[in-house]
Amino acid sequence: MRFLTLISLLTLFSYSFGGNVTIICHGGAGSVAPSRFIGKYRGTVLAVQIGYNILKTNGTSLDAVEAAVRSMEVDEEFNAGYGSVLTSEGKVEMDACIMDGETMKVGAVTGVQNIFHTITLARKVMEKTRYNFLSPEGAMKLAKDEGFQFLPEGTLVTERAKLSLENWKRNQNQSLGEQVGEGGTVGCAAYDINGNLAAATSTGGLTGKMSGRIGDTPIVGGGTYADNKLGALSATGTGEVIMKSVLVYDILKRYEYKQISLQQAAQEACDDMTERYDDDGGVIGLDKDGNVAIGFSSPQMSWAYQNEPENVHYGIEHEISHIYNIAECKSKNCFQ
Amino acid sequence: MSKEPIPICLVHGGAGDIPASRVQAKLNGVKQAAQIGYHHLINNGSALEAVELAVIHMELDPVFNAGYGSVLTTEGTVEMEASVMDGKTLKVGCVTGVVDIMHPISAAIRVMEKTPHNFLGFHGANRFIKQQEFELLKPGALITDQAKEALEHWKEQQKNGGFKGFAKTEIGHNQHERGETIGAVAIDILGNIAVATSTGGITGKLPGRIGDTPLLGCGTYCDNRFGGVSTTGHGETIMKSCLAHDIIKRIDYLGEDAQTATETACNNMTERFFGKGGAITIDKDGNVGISFTSKRMAWAYQKLNTMHYGIEKDDHFEQIVDQNEVDSLVNVAGKSS
Repeated sequence: MRFLTLISLLTLFSYSFGGNVTIICHGGAGSVAPSRFIGKYRGTVLAVQIGYNILKTNGTSLDAVEAAVRSMEVDEEFNAGYGSVLTSEGKVEMDACIMDGETMKVGAVTGVQNIFHTITLARKVMEKTRYNFLSPEGAMKLAKDEGFQFLPEGTLVTERAKLSLENWKRNQNQSLGEQVGEGGTVGCAAYDINGNLAAATSTGGLTGKMSGRIGDTPIVGGGTYADNKLGALSATGTGEVIMKSVLVYDILKRYEYKQISLQQAAQEACDDMTERYDDDGGVIGLDKDGNVAIGFSSPQMSWAYQNEPENVHYGIEHEISHIYNIAECKSKNCFQ
Repeated sequence: MSKEPIPICLVHGGAGDIPASRVQAKLNGVKQAAQIGYHHLINNGSALEAVELAVIHMELDPVFNAGYGSVLTTEGTVEMEASVMDGKTLKVGCVTGVVDIMHPISAAIRVMEKTPHNFLGFHGANRFIKQQEFELLKPGALITDQAKEALEHWKEQQKNGGFKGFAKTEIGHNQHERGETIGAVAIDILGNIAVATSTGGITGKLPGRIGDTPLLGCGTYCDNRFGGVSTTGHGETIMKSCLAHDIIKRIDYLGEDAQTATETACNNMTERFFGKGGAITIDKDGNVGISFTSKRMAWAYQKLNTMHYGIEKDDHFEQIVDQNEVDSLVNVAGKSS
């Protein structure tokens, strides 16, 4: 009986003070040319507003991260969905993962072709199958069964992606080795009115990758993780080293076992990764109480978050944060 | 304690509801694999080579769900996955959806050595394997009668609605959904650690299902600074709990010993997610950790001239190793690989 009272008190507490819903997204870590900052700002700021509107109207964190990622998947500024980078053969092969921090259910896909919203397919894996992770063959069959719209071959390929591949090939020929890409993976984490967390990540991978290459994005604990008891995170950067560091799980374990803030854990883990593997990346996330964490060891990582109705916070460079006032920016274009 | 680490090759033959009729064959297989690995280590072989040899031996043995003897998808096909990690260089190789080769673990090592990537899957992985001139078997060559039987039983149960009362996370509870992955962890005389894990997945899986085995931090993890872990059991559960990495992080951040970390992580996983599994661990000082929440898990390691092994919860048998027997085994393994 006392237990029930406690539950109802807690519920009441969360409804009366739980208005502080939060969503945070990233638009990829890497070396981003200043000419592309505006496009990244616009896309991430839009994505978090879409997610925030869902959270504010009592939507779930899962719906919020999916919708926010979807908006970046159709934005060619990002390496996900339309605008994905190309394999060495000029094809788009996308990976995505979504995880529900309440139920700990997870859905992941790899090698997905010719659909717009890989993240939605990942969610279908979570909801409609007994599995966590499906390969190209399994995922495409599920997409068909679930009535996804299939695009004509090449629809997702942009001019910019083609150019990147040409550059990559040129560098390969001159044996300059691996070219560090601009990244551009997208991902979000959200905290809803019931205190539930979710995380989602979607990517086209790496320019010039071998067909069949699987990066960190769809790996639970590598690129994506959510657990109501700890936090929710999404990673971006050089997939091979993020995978080796099991980056987002490492961050949650630092938070849990070392009892440091998620923010500190995120930055430390990114720095340790770069020190050890000489390659960089970044993460965004929320701890179990909805506090924001942003960490990256790459020169840039675009990010944005919203935890109040009036403003969106955003940035791309180390230690520089901007405020986007929604009312003000309605009357004038703030990103020009 | 001497400064030079005593080499160990610790192997598991999979966690699950192993029927009593298969206990002896499993034990024989893991003991042989542990001997082969150990023999290589005391002849100055590297940990990486030792885990490959041990896993190769079990991939050939039809009693294990890896290589020959792998379980079947709903379509009656074999789709294998494997991963390997070198604790010294932190290089890794992972493959999934591999068909028609005897040794997926060797394909994983080739991914590690020959590509700029960590992980290849399905058509990309199989194309790479072809380019690397692995011996390709005829379709169906890896299928055993036992695997066919298991699939038949599984299908029958599906027809009878056997799963209706079960939560989705409990699919590992069915004894026909065998998920007995194999794996090896070794520490060599230089103190380098390596891990290899290989599997056919679970009976009746949808073609294209990817389990925990090829995922770093879930099925396999290794770092000389802390130790190495190979896991086995219900893949979806192990994946959610990042079992291998949890054990490593317990050793790193909480200072737990190999046995405590392995036991606590396995128990926490099953408590939280219901699905069962097990793990084997060697830490940087050569301490061994073995634990499982399933009914049985076959494991074995040789240290000096003693073979340690078990399969039930509290087993820990010891047996003096006859060196002649080891030599003949190594010869056989050498020929078949």
